[in-house]
Amino acid sequence: MHVQVTDYRNIKMPNLEHPAYPAATLLQLESLVPCRESQVSLLLSIFGERHQFSFPSIFIYGHTSSGKTYVMQTLLSTLQLPHVFVNCVECFTSRLLLEEILMQLQSCSPETEQTSQVHCDTFNDFVRLFKQAVVTQELQDQTLYIVLDRAEQLKEMEANILPAFLRLQELTDRNVTVILLSEIVWELFRPNTGCFEPFTLYFPDYSIGHLQKILSQNHPPEYSADFYSAYINILLGVFYMVCRDLKELQHLAALNFSKYCEPVARGEANERDSRKLWKNIEPHLKKAMQTVYLREISSSQWEHLQHDDEEPGQLKGLSAHTHVELPYYSKFLLIAAYLASYNPVRTDKRFFLKHHGKIRKTNFMKKHEKTSNHLLGPKPFPLDRLLAILYSIVDNRVAPTANIFSQITSLVTLQLLSTVGHNDQLDGPRYKCTVSLDFIRAVARTVNFDIIKYLYDFL
Amino acid sequence: MSTCSVSKGCFVFKPSPKKRRVSQKTAVHFSEGKNDLEDSELRFYTCQSLWNQIKLETEQIQEDLNKQLLDNLVSFLGRSHSEFQGKTTDWTCRMKSREIPTAALVLGVNVTDHELTFRNLSEALQNITPYIALLEAKDCPGIKNLMQKLMGQLMNCSTDVVSLEDDDYVQVSQNRIRCSMKSVVDWYESVTKKTDSETLSKKRTSSAKHQQSPPVVVIFKDMESFTTKVLQDFIVISSQHIRELPLVLIFGIATSPMIIHSLLPHSVSSLLCIELFQSFSCKEHLSTIIDKLLLTSRFPFKLGEKVLQVLINIFLYHDFSVWNFIRGFQLCIVEHFYSEPLSVLCCQLTDAKKRVNSLSHEQCENVRRLPSFRRYVERQEAEKQIALLTADSFLKETTQKLLEDLHVYHENYVSVLKCLHVFTCSLPKYPLGKQIRELHCACLENRVWETEDYETSLQLARMLNKSDLETMLQQCVEILVSSSGNELDKAVEKLKEFLTQFQKLEAEAFQEQDVSVSSQKELQKKTDLYHLQKTLLELKDSRRSKKLTKFEMLRFEVVDYIDSLVRRYLVPADHKTLHEIVYFNTASVLRGHLNAAPRIALHTALNNPYSYLKNQALKCDSGSISSKAPDICIVYKLHLECGRLINLVDWLEAFSTVVTAVDEPNADAASSDQVDDIIHARFIRAVSELELLGFIKPSKQKTDHVARLTWGGC
Amino acid sequence: MAWHGSARLGALRFTERLRGRECRAEEEAPLVFPFPSSGSAAGYGDLACEGASCCCWPTAIKPSAMSKRKAKESGGANGECISQAQKILRERFCHHCAAGRLFGIEHQYRHLLDLLKRTTVHGESNSALIIGPRGSGKTALLNCVLKELKEMKQVRGNLLEVRLNGLLQTNDKVALKEITRQLNLENVVGDKVFGSFAENLAFLLEALRKGDRTSSCPVLFILDEFDLFVHHKNQTLLYNLFDISQSAQTPVTVIGLTCRQDILELLEKRVKSRFSHRQIYLMNSFDFKQYIKIFKEQLALPADFPDKSFAQKWNTNVQHLSEDKTVQDVLQNLFHHSKDLRTLHLFLMLALSNVTVHHPLITASDLHEASKQYRTDSRANIVHGLSVLEICLIIAMKHLNDVYEGEPFNFQMVYNEFQKFIQRKAHCMYNFEKPVVMKAFEHLLQLELVKPIERPNIRAQREYLLMKLLLDSTQIMDALQVYPNCPVDVKQWAASSLSWL
Repeated sequence: MHVQVTDYRNIKMPNLEHPAYPAATLLQLESLVPCRESQVSLLLSIFGERHQFSFPSIFIYGHTSSGKTYVMQTLLSTLQLPHVFVNCVECFTSRLLLEEILMQLQSCSPETEQTSQVHCDTFNDFVRLFKQAVVTQELQDQTLYIVLDRAEQLKEMEANILPAFLRLQELTDRNVTVILLSEIVWELFRPNTGCFEPFTLYFPDYSIGHLQKILSQNHPPEYSADFYSAYINILLGVFYMVCRDLKELQHLAALNFSKYCEPVARGEANERDSRKLWKNIEPHLKKAMQTVYLREISSSQWEHLQHDDEEPGQLKGLSAHTHVELPYYSKFLLIAAYLASYNPVRTDKRFFLKHHGKIRKTNFMKKHEKTSNHLLGPKPFPLDRLLAILYSIVDNRVAPTANIFSQITSLVTLQLLSTVGHNDQLDGPRYKCTVSLDFIRAVARTVNFDIIKYLYDFL
Repeated sequence: MSTCSVSKGCFVFKPSPKKRRVSQKTAVHFSEGKNDLEDSELRFYTCQSLWNQIKLETEQIQEDLNKQLLDNLVSFLGRSHSEFQGKTTDWTCRMKSREIPTAALVLGVNVTDHELTFRNLSEALQNITPYIALLEAKDCPGIKNLMQKLMGQLMNCSTDVVSLEDDDYVQVSQNRIRCSMKSVVDWYESVTKKTDSETLSKKRTSSAKHQQSPPVVVIFKDMESFTTKVLQDFIVISSQHIRELPLVLIFGIATSPMIIHSLLPHSVSSLLCIELFQSFSCKEHLSTIIDKLLLTSRFPFKLGEKVLQVLINIFLYHDFSVWNFIRGFQLCIVEHFYSEPLSVLCCQLTDAKKRVNSLSHEQCENVRRLPSFRRYVERQEAEKQIALLTADSFLKETTQKLLEDLHVYHENYVSVLKCLHVFTCSLPKYPLGKQIRELHCACLENRVWETEDYETSLQLARMLNKSDLETMLQQCVEILVSSSGNELDKAVEKLKEFLTQFQKLEAEAFQEQDVSVSSQKELQKKTDLYHLQKTLLELKDSRRSKKLTKFEMLRFEVVDYIDSLVRRYLVPADHKTLHEIVYFNTASVLRGHLNAAPRIALHTALNNPYSYLKNQALKCDSGSISSKAPDICIVYKLHLECGRLINLVDWLEAFSTVVTAVDEPNADAASSDQVDDIIHARFIRAVSELELLGFIKPSKQKTDHVARLTWGGC
Repeated sequence: MAWHGSARLGALRFTERLRGRECRAEEEAPLVFPFPSSGSAAGYGDLACEGASCCCWPTAIKPSAMSKRKAKESGGANGECISQAQKILRERFCHHCAAGRLFGIEHQYRHLLDLLKRTTVHGESNSALIIGPRGSGKTALLNCVLKELKEMKQVRGNLLEVRLNGLLQTNDKVALKEITRQLNLENVVGDKVFGSFAENLAFLLEALRKGDRTSSCPVLFILDEFDLFVHHKNQTLLYNLFDISQSAQTPVTVIGLTCRQDILELLEKRVKSRFSHRQIYLMNSFDFKQYIKIFKEQLALPADFPDKSFAQKWNTNVQHLSEDKTVQDVLQNLFHHSKDLRTLHLFLMLALSNVTVHHPLITASDLHEASKQYRTDSRANIVHGLSVLEICLIIAMKHLNDVYEGEPFNFQMVYNEFQKFIQRKAHCMYNFEKPVVMKAFEHLLQLELVKPIERPNIRAQREYLLMKLLLDSTQIMDALQVYPNCPVDVKQWAASSLSWL
């Protein structure tokens, strides 16, 4: 007993403290979760000792990559608490989810090593099997933790799944705690008839200081830590405005670092003179914002660019290849569709009648139409209108052959048009044109048709 | 796939047209009505063999075109895979978040042609990995189905590596396998372990080629048609397992890679490592096809100008589908051999000669009936005419001769055409068109040298500077030499001679050089046609005024010589005797087959039944409605006069009046309602038929009204 | 080692005692109290003062200032006591199956009790609904009643109990299997149930009919989440249960627990007519004074706590707390927010979790912290984590809402607004590419701060999808106030009344 206490004395006290676990483990844990100590200690105190009951369900929310998943995993595994960890995205049906949990339960028990196929269709069976599984192994005396990552998926499943998980402890009458991880606030989960309220815990986003610290933590072996952290500083300067996702930032950091230390490698600059380095990297990073960050250019291509350092201008991003080769009439169909979906019906007379006289825009301007249609997006139009416009914008006459009609359908399958409403209706199918203004202008140019003249918004 | 093609109207789910055609039935069908003296059997089989040749040819072409693309893809796969393996120690690799390597494969809007491409692709990928899954949007409405399909295909191709063409796999019983990504991963581990042990023990040829852990390739055939949700889920899920499972995605894209960003939110697309691959444009594809199929003397069968125009127009205006073009070509072949009894002679020259000898009398008569042959006969002197018209034997040998001529004509035609193209294709504004097919059409249409386009192009040719001219001549020489035609040897000689003369000029050339160069300068300054011609004219005058330099004289000679070649060899085909045998020229039939006008057809059928039924009683001017017309026609005509909503009662009234119009005098009131019942019944039947056709539908808006669905009175 | 051992042993004894076993004091004394009583008393002495001093400490600072000596003396005993206290209280707060204490519902208790008595003793069939909002102690009530019932000797052993839960038995087929399983009738092998729905139902009804009210054992059906059973296909199960509860020979009683007041309207007529309209309402209808009392009772350690003195100290501390001003305010808030016990439990649990060896008694500040932790606007939290660009978008949306009176908007409009802002204040942040902004917008969408009003069909362009903002302007402004290093003119822009349209 006394020995025990003396042990306690000559161990350095960690910030995290808990009677149930040896200080060494806690220290290790603390080292593993930078900038998340407070959350971890709170969780620890809530969990209590192994055998003690804890909240039936805990709901942890916070931004993408604010360390929810990571912290839970490290916490549970370092303290060797019996737990089941499931990602709900992978289990896209409730059946998969439940079976997954049961299988993990089997596997985490020592004596039943064979993971036999479990069959569990309903939550009723789940509760039964769960009880058995827990009985078979020595889990009664410990709290079992079931972590459901990406819990927002549960909203899409059957209505009873989420509430049932929330009160699993009561339903199974076992010492179990269900932990839900999600990016979405709890208010959006609560079913309208209400349910058992979980204890909600917020993981705050990393502050810029935190990001700096975490990102600088693992620097490349060949460079010094503060050199790297200076780099991180610049990186954050560019991207922090837009993106605080730790993962993305780390990715970007890794991608652009080689470029950053180029001058050093070439011996033009030493690690000190940060201005030079900054001058070198800054435009590069700005470029990266429009390319890599949006995945316009794949990261591997980006790396190649850096190695044989040509201008990123050479390699065009995905959105550079907007040009679509279309058959002649398809082009006109598309143009007609665009006009039909962005012009008010009553203006057709003015645009497409030969002798419409001089009608000013103000004449048929309505009061509520100060917002342009290009803000509101395309309006649906019937097939006949499309054809009518087509006939009037194509100078030589077009026979309504099957080819024309099939082109319309194929434009739909190409996502350049889209059908509105269900498409099995016999009378007047309605369409929308889903291409951007730039796109349609490019198309119109190829058949030298001045589309702007025909657009109501640009009168 | 075919339903979402640009030309779905034309090819509605033919299970396998080839098989149907070779069946004996059609062979008989060829000869139906006629007696077999017009050796339809033979024709049929000629047709067969010809088509098979052409088919092989086209597929070959397609493969060659795709080769480049496929090689790129294969190397990409290898690369991405290597990045999966090893070098996890490398710092950047540790820091970088693992992305799923993805190939965005832009194939162009002609969806029908993709099928073959994908087939080639999956065959090419076999060398890298046996694990390939092809997914179509219509099989994957939900993530569940997608996983099922995926696992089904993967599990299968783990057992047998070959034959990925047919998508109808026997599903590995899904209820036993939980279709989740996890089980895929497990499967992959087990399989790779197995293959490793295999490679240790007895190397299977396929798995020997693959690396230790080959990538798993998932091909999304039609990216556009997939729903966002499904793709999103799949990508997110698989990105969870990317470390255990070397997955590679291939997106088949018809429009433009932008679709990726418009389909996937950035949070998802940031899980991908996308690289772009362009298949090259279908227009080039078409021109190669035309070059290899039409502008060659390999195949005896030829397309007339109008027919070619129809096909090309369908291609350019409606669908960019090369496949359809070839189909159309096939249709032409079948049609030709079917309709033209003499097409039996449309084969390689040697066989043709043999066959001529064995022509039956009727066939000889057929020959005599040919308009081109008539013209030929008229050009002969009297006794020869008689001989031709009476003596089959003589006819036969003349035919042989003529056929030979025709053959020679073709050979020369092709090569000279190419030469001419060499000249015209580099001229500013392309007066005779840029593509050789345009030139071809022009030449087929009528005497090209009479068109003013030709004139202008010659004038422009006269302005060419020396170096260009020489290179062109060089090219021409090559073309002519390569051509099999032996009577072009003289031409070759001549051209070579020109070249040598140019060499000789080198010495004293330079002072004229600058003149011409200056003129060239002017040319380059003024690019648009009008100015160009003006400058041409004045330049010409200036030339007239001062004496021509040697170079210019030579240039004139060259151009004139080319001109002479053109006049000699590029005579339109239909001036040639017996061209009917090899040329298919009935465009109307083709048009009827290829661009159908359903609305018009229906309308004429119902509005003017005579046009189809050919019953004299129905003959009447379109305005009035004959009471003898089928009920549905009457009802239809009446409904044309109505608006969107049709009152059934009025309609019935009108109907009965029309029907009873004839026997009005002897109809008395007592019997009339008796008749009325029947008429009523007929009316109801007719209306229901219209409804069946989808012209009207019952409407909720008004009682005993029906809504009219037909296009507004067209 | 030994320390742990003693703790576990103590725990074990304690559990035994819960089972009402006798346990003599002297045999546990050496185990639980290894120290001379004087030392322990001393320990308690400074503990007391420490506890008192704790009140003024914020919990953030751990009382590591405590000298090692105290730790040494009080560590063992305290550690164990506290872990036991934690165990008891946690069980009370979190483990809801345990029949907790009841407050202010004696009348309902009596009612339910004699209802069940009549079933079990005199074999009368019956049916009743217990109706009350969530956390009002429906299950607790039932459990207590059953507990007492089971203790009565004439009941003991002859009562079949069938517990169903709407969350588990989502359709009648499952429910029926569950019933047969719990009654374990003949067609149950292991835990598998055989036979079709119809067979099982017929079998069950047969089994229930053939008995007679004197001899055969009464059956009690408990339907938790009763309202969910209503949605089953034409309410077959409910119909049959209520029917046999009226007609059958075997005494059958059906108890439904639900939180829906309008439950009777949900029943079909034929079902409703067979239901004896007994309803037991649980409104937690107690005033604040009682609430305080509940608070005390909930937090108090039971009399049979092994370490009497600690329990006593603990309880006195609780007593003090209940009189403390700040605590009362906290409780007041809680009380107004929601009266039900569950929230109270959650809240107390949170406070309790802070109790450690070095911090052995709950303090006012603990409770305060807990209440703070309990009442945080989660949306504001999320907004706090957004990037500047995303904040800007939200502000743009706010302006749009102001201009178009909360009409739905689409990305294009938001982008427009943002553009206007950028053009005016170009210097503060450089102009972002449209796709970059789109990415930010999608992130907002992913966080469900913005919601598409109609189900986004597959083919619509994303920039034209109509959206609604799920934050109100006050929330936004509050969030902006606390937002770290937010550019000044972004703040101004947010503040500016109407955007410049």
